[in-house]
Amino acid sequence: MECKLIRPTDLDEALAAREEYTDGLPIAGGQSLLVMMRNRLISPGALIDLEPVEALRGIEVQSTGISIGAMNTCRQLIASPVLREEVGVLPSAARQVSSTAVRNLGTIGGNVCHNEPGADLPPVLLALNGRAVLRRRTHGREVPLEEFFTGYFETALEADEILCRIDIEHPNAAGVYLKHAISPEDLAIVGVAAVVVPDSERPGAVAEARIGIGGAAPVPLRASRTEAALKGAVLDEETARAAGELASTEVDTGSDPHASAGYRRKMVAVFVRRALLHAANQMMGNGHGAA
Amino acid sequence: MALLDLKVNGQEAQVEAPDTALLLDVLRERLFLTGAKRGCETSHCGCCTVRVDGMAVHSCVVLAARCQGKEITTVEGCGDGMELDRLQRLFLEHGAVQCGYCGPGMLMAAKALLERNPQPTLDEVKKGLDGNLCRCTGYTPIFDAILAYSRGA
Ligand SMILES: Cc1cc2nc3c(=O)[nH]c(=O)nc-3n(C[C@H](O)[C@H](O)[C@H](O)COP(=O)(O)OP(=O)(O)OC[C@H]3O[C@@H](n4cnc5c(N)ncnc54)[C@H](O)[C@@H]3O)c2cc1C
Ligand code: FES
Ligand code: FES
Repeated sequence: MECKLIRPTDLDEALAAREEYTDGLPIAGGQSLLVMMRNRLISPGALIDLEPVEALRGIEVQSTGISIGAMNTCRQLIASPVLREEVGVLPSAARQVSSTAVRNLGTIGGNVCHNEPGADLPPVLLALNGRAVLRRRTHGREVPLEEFFTGYFETALEADEILCRIDIEHPNAAGVYLKHAISPEDLAIVGVAAVVVPDSERPGAVAEARIGIGGAAPVPLRASRTEAALKGAVLDEETARAAGELASTEVDTGSDPHASAGYRRKMVAVFVRRALLHAANQMMGNGHGAA
Repeated sequence: MALLDLKVNGQEAQVEAPDTALLLDVLRERLFLTGAKRGCETSHCGCCTVRVDGMAVHSCVVLAARCQGKEITTVEGCGDGMELDRLQRLFLEHGAVQCGYCGPGMLMAAKALLERNPQPTLDEVKKGLDGNLCRCTGYTPIFDAILAYSRGA
């Protein structure tokens, strides 16, 4: 059966098509979707092209944070002056996604909806308190990313919904993303994002540290017990080491041909420690910092 | 099926193809432009790299229908079809081509890089070609050819 291509001109048309074609899928950059089709893992009856949909574009600074259209490519995230200035950790992670050709077309929305273990953007967006802004024809809803990533290649996205934007908090914080992979173009064996918010009362201490972990487990996650332990802490070597150890107990690691569960667990400890120390350095280095 | 209006290497072409035809298939099988090679077909190897509006893309994971209204450039668009262009000549001189399977993709990725960044460092060249694998040359001659180009050789 031939797969149809639907090219809506605006979001309303796209949402109507999403409702109509129950065997259809939205196509963003196509970098994962077309590979899945080629490998016969999926065979949608229709592709709904999100490229022409203006409402899914743009990066807007709002009073509460930054709203990023789902169709922004990694290339656009890297080039965005606003993101570089305000949340450097996001373009820095986008730069580490796969290869130039994939970054040229692959989008933030596709990266998040595909939810492939080891993808680079989910841990960062988790650490930035990201929220998925979803729409269906009749209404919309917002889901914190922690609830959006539900399983191995699975998300809370419903069959008639489109992810329109990812909203992140204006961090006033320092942030780092570290990727551990066999080759830089590979998915992460372990990818750790650390975002630290300085304590305005006590120089050197952190009011809050947020840790997003990808690759290590089937689903990207926040290391919430570790985060709780770090509230108000001064991030020195010893604190960061202990945080890494604690974080490694929070992750339900798995084995695959790239790495064993035990190795992944160890690498979580190492990369959480390093990411926290980098982020703390950044925080001390330039006051408000740019996550 | 759909009728697609494409502009490839400056020339307009109309082709009939399935709605979700891939750019690589349309180039090779409808337009007989076999410069872009078929390798992994899963966006890993880069031998299918062409440029769309100047950007290097893996044509095995691009819908041809989306390229309407855009400029598609393949390796056949280098030089004038008879004479090699300067980058192609430098590839030849530096031994950047052994079996040659990666060559068209390497050239197109290199051109996208050099247009964006005419004086790349070695690291920037490596990053610019990170979507292109070569199983023969060990990459060094390819990087050398590109750096020689940027020095005006
Ligand atoms: C060789 C290769 C290497 C890669 N390496 C990495 C890596 O190192 N790090 C990394 O992070 N990623 C990596 N990726 C994944 C890459 O970043 C993908 O392109 C990306 O995850 C998917 O984005 P896309 O825009 O291409 O989405 P598509 O492929 O178009 O879509 C992916 C899925 O999301 C759905 N979807 C997309 N957008 C929306 C939306 N707005 N609303 C609802 N559903 C939507 C689609 O229906 C589909 O199911 C790699 C991919 C390849 C092919
Ligand atoms: S054939 Fe397209 S990347 Fe390998
Ligand atoms: S020359 Fe053979 S793959 Fe590069």
